[in-house]
Order: sequence, then C-alpha cells, then structure tokens
Amino acid sequence: MSHRAQSTPCRWLRASLAIAFCAAAYAQAATFEVRVAKRDGQPLPGAVVTVERESAALGPAPPARAIMDQVNLAFAPDVLVIPVHSTIQFPNSDAVGHQVYSFSSARQFQLPLYRGKPYPPVQFDQPGVVTLGCNIHDNMLAYIVVTAAPWFGRADERGHWTAAEVPEGRYRVRVWHPLLNEPAGLERIVEVGTQPVTAEFRLTKTLRPAPLGSRPHSWDY
Amino acid sequence: MGLLNGNHPQFARLGRAIVWCVLGVSSAHAADWELSLDLRAVSSDGRKSFLEDGQGKLRFDEDHQGIQLGRLRAAWTQPLGEVFAAHIEASRWDDLDKNPIDLTEAYVEYRPYPRAGWRSRVRLGAFYPPMSLENRARGWETPYTLTPSAISSWVGEELRTIGIEGQFEWLGTRLGHDFDVQLTGAVFGWNDPAGTMLAQHGFALHDRQTTLFGRVGAPQSDPAESKKELFHEMDDRPGYYAGAQVRYLDRAVFNVLHYDNRADPTVESQELRDMAWKTRFDAMALRIETGGDWTLLVQAIEGYTEINPFRPLVWDFESQSVMLAKRWGKHLLAARYDSFEVEFDDRPAWTGSEDGNAWTAAYSYERDTHWRFALEWLQVESDVPARSIELGEPAFARESKLELSVRYLLGGST
Repeated sequence: MSHRAQSTPCRWLRASLAIAFCAAAYAQAATFEVRVAKRDGQPLPGAVVTVERESAALGPAPPARAIMDQVNLAFAPDVLVIPVHSTIQFPNSDAVGHQVYSFSSARQFQLPLYRGKPYPPVQFDQPGVVTLGCNIHDNMLAYIVVTAAPWFGRADERGHWTAAEVPEGRYRVRVWHPLLNEPAGLERIVEVGTQPVTAEFRLTKTLRPAPLGSRPHSWDY
Repeated sequence: MGLLNGNHPQFARLGRAIVWCVLGVSSAHAADWELSLDLRAVSSDGRKSFLEDGQGKLRFDEDHQGIQLGRLRAAWTQPLGEVFAAHIEASRWDDLDKNPIDLTEAYVEYRPYPRAGWRSRVRLGAFYPPMSLENRARGWETPYTLTPSAISSWVGEELRTIGIEGQFEWLGTRLGHDFDVQLTGAVFGWNDPAGTMLAQHGFALHDRQTTLFGRVGAPQSDPAESKKELFHEMDDRPGYYAGAQVRYLDRAVFNVLHYDNRADPTVESQELRDMAWKTRFDAMALRIETGGDWTLLVQAIEGYTEINPFRPLVWDFESQSVMLAKRWGKHLLAARYDSFEVEFDDRPAWTGSEDGNAWTAAYSYERDTHWRFALEWLQVESDVPARSIELGEPAFARESKLELSVRYLLGGST
C-alpha cells in the first residue's frame, strides 16, 4: 500500500501540482509494484519500501501525524514509516510506566511515559532509521523509518507493495526490514515507463531470528 | 572501612537510610506492588532436612508432608524521580526462622537512559549477584521448576550482595548488531559467614531464600555450633565480584562471574559462634531460547571455602546443572539434572565431603496473571560420609518428593 495519496487539502494541492508537473513533463504514468522475497523465495511481509526519483527529483510526501503506542509491554506497531517532518505521538496503553528512548543519529530523545501523563508529539526532521527502546523493559524494540521519498510503504502478507500513477522516469528503490542481515537494506535503480512495472527483490542472506514475542512478561530479559 | 564493622546495627542503619531516601523522594511516580501466596501439597521421603540440622537435601522432609507454606511474598517497587527506583522484597517461608516475615532483597537502583549505545546501572543495598540465568521470575524464583538447581539453591541460601554494584553495558542490538555486552563489578560486606552451610551440610535442593535478618531454618540445637546467620560483617574486609555477560539478540545469554568475599579465615565471632569463611568461586551460565519455545540452560560453579582456626581447613566445591524446558502457551514442562560435590581437605570419605546428583521434572500452568499451578517431582541421590560418622545413618541416601504448588498473585500500581 502506498502512502502517497492522503486526503487533506494541502496534500491534495501538492499532489495536484505534482501531477500537473508530471503531466506536463511526461504525460504518462504507470502502476509500480515491488515484490520482496526472502532468500528461500518465501514472501517477506512488512518490508519497508521507499521509492525516490533519480531524474528531476520530487520532494518528500507531506508530513503526517502518526502514533506509536505501547501495549502489553510492546511497541505497536513494531515498524512505522513516516515522511520527514512528520510527528509521532507516544501514548501509553499499559498500566506500567515506560521510558522510551532513541540514541539513533536520525533523532535522539527520551520520553518518560507514565500512565495519565501525555507527552508532546516528537517531530522527525532527518531521514534515517530510528531504533526505539525502553529503559525499563529491555525486550521492547521498535523502529521508525523516516524517509524523504515521495512514495513509501510496507509490503503486505504476500510481500507486495504497489503505487499507482508513478510518472515515467528513473527511480531508486530501497527495501529495508529490521531482520535483514544487510543492515543498510537493498537498493536498485528501476525505469518506469508507460506500462506497469514490477521490481522483484530477493534477499541474498537469511534473515536474523525474529524477537521471541511470546515470552511471559514477568520473566526478565 | 568504618561502615563495615560489627553486625546487624550498622546494616540496619544502612537499611533505614535507604527507606528514608525512598520515602523522601517517592511522591512523583506510581509505585508497583505485588502480594503472592504459594501453598504446597507435599509427599516426601526425605531424611531430616538441613533446615533442622539434618543431612537431608530437601526443604520438606518425611516429617513435613501434607499442606505446607511455599512462600508468602510482598514486593514493592518505587520510582524515585525518573532514573532511580527502590525495590523491596519481603517473604515468609516457614515458622522456624527468626522473624515471621523478613527481607530477601532491598536496594535502590540508578538506571540512566543509554547514550550512544552505552548504558550504566548502579545498585545499592542488598540483592543477588548476577549469576543465575535460571531465577528470572519475580522474587528471584525460577519459572521453570519449583526447586531451582543446586547452584541457585546455594546462592539463595548463603549469598547476598550487601553493598554497591555497577554495570556497564554496550547495547549492540540497538545499533543494528546482534550482540549486547555487559560488565559488572561489585564491592560488598556483611557476607563473611557465606560457606558455612556448604561445609555443614553440602549442597541442597530447595527454594527457600535466607532472609537478610533471619537464619537458615530452625535454631541450631547444638549451642556450640554456628547460629546459621549469614549476613554479617566479621573482619572489616569488603569482598568483591566481577562478571561479564554477552547476549545474542534475545536468544542466548552467556554469563561468567568471579566471586571472592575476601573474608579473613582466622577471624572468629563469639556471637555468631562461627568463623569468617573465605569463599571464592567462578560461575558460568548459558541460556539458549529458540523460536519454538525451547530453553536450554547450562550452569557450572567451582570454588572453595576456607577457615583457619589453627590450620587452614579447605572445602572445595563444584556443581553442574543442565535443564531443558519446552513451553506451549501457558503450559511449561522442564527437566533438569544436577550434580554436586564437596571435598574437605582432599578427603572425599571424610565428614564435610559429599558427592551427589539430582533429577527434577516439573510441569506448570500459568492460568493468568493471578493463578499458577505447578507439579514437581525431584529425586536426589547423595553420598555424605557425615551421615555415618556423625549420625550413625547410611552415608548414601536416595530422597524424593512430589510437590504440588498453587500460587495466587495480586499486583497493581498505587
């Protein structure tokens, strides 16, 4: 699913301008699909896909307001993809307190989240991967991918991600997942013309083991 | 070390200081509390328990069958501002201890936010040294079995860090790597008698943790023998430990610890009717967990304890343990093998020496956050020369027990 089309007046305006510009420049657009598979050929659901134009660069998608909650001693969702300059609210749906932190270079912060004490949203102005942790509960782990790409999203259960109406041009497609053994992710240049295009990514290395999610919360790390 | 002289009064003063510190700064954040009652139905053919001056290896012996109190426990965690927290654990085990309810742990922890992948942590008070990868549940219990390994049983019986501990940690998994690394060091006092129980009755298999102001079981029947009170300072010499832990994602943990209470083995306390036991050991533990909810736990310890009343008397000890557990949702099955050995003065057939092993199988069902049901079978075989030399019993004993536990836990935030 693509996050490009979002229904606020500002976004409509920007989208319309972009389409007008693209229409003038290329007059053509196509459906663009990315398929991500693991090393064994099985789909990789949840993979983060970002698509940036190499030729005549397009700006990032409009900023969004997102939520990263804490439910049952886990971050929800486990991965969030947002355009640069977006803000994220960190509520706390647990009865216990959390101390959410990031020391990633893209955004560093510390949020003491106690029940009934809301904290102002955090703004993310620099592209990159922000790793979240909790200073009280060490097994809590989540990621925020901040992107300057105009098209982005996460692959569905089949490992597919689709964007409609992608104008003709050269694009840099990046694929990232928290369990990749290639920490920087995979990337490739793809030409989009007038016909639907599919870019297939297949990992060359096996994934790192997924976190053990089902362990009782009363056990320590 | 003026702080480290005498017995309980100074230790109590430290405790009072911690309590005042907690009360003084505690208003900002909600405290978490827990209360639990663990009742047991026991069938046992154990010899007279070590808790009553016997040479039996079990907590509940032949004379303590039927309905028994497993543990009554109360715990309190109080955040003190953002990066400090106080934690207190109190328990009642049985009627034979000095106090009806007493503390097993009480400490203040400083846990600042990590910076650039590094985090430090400091604990001040009374707590367990970080060596058991088994006792990872609330109240320093093992979630796998009712009875912990021989190693953890001994730690719960004789060891407590009463002092200050610092940890320095590299959080590689937060930087895109697969490993975290942690270094630990501590300086402590008030644990000079540690080792006296090991020399007196060897290893045992039990879940009873000695309380800070209590003793190991019933009062000593022989007025010339040790009072079995373990948390005292006798020689004004602080002990230390140093350890390291490496974690692979959340799948595997490897822990090593070198421990030395640096007791002066020539010092004697009339009040405790005991000497300072110089105890030094190395311990390792490895825990591997799989995505299929299997857990493999391997532990080993090797060391010695020494007193020097007129010449050095040394008890070498070692123990190893392997446990395999499998979890299906709320159900858990575990099997463990323990082996243990104590050798006094290089004389395996002499009093003070022993050789033994134990098998444990346990099933537990954690119905919800309140109720837990567990059933455990344990058999321990041991060859203890003191049984024949001092008690006139056969040196070899095979003891077994079947124990059903029903635990109810209440918890909340204030």
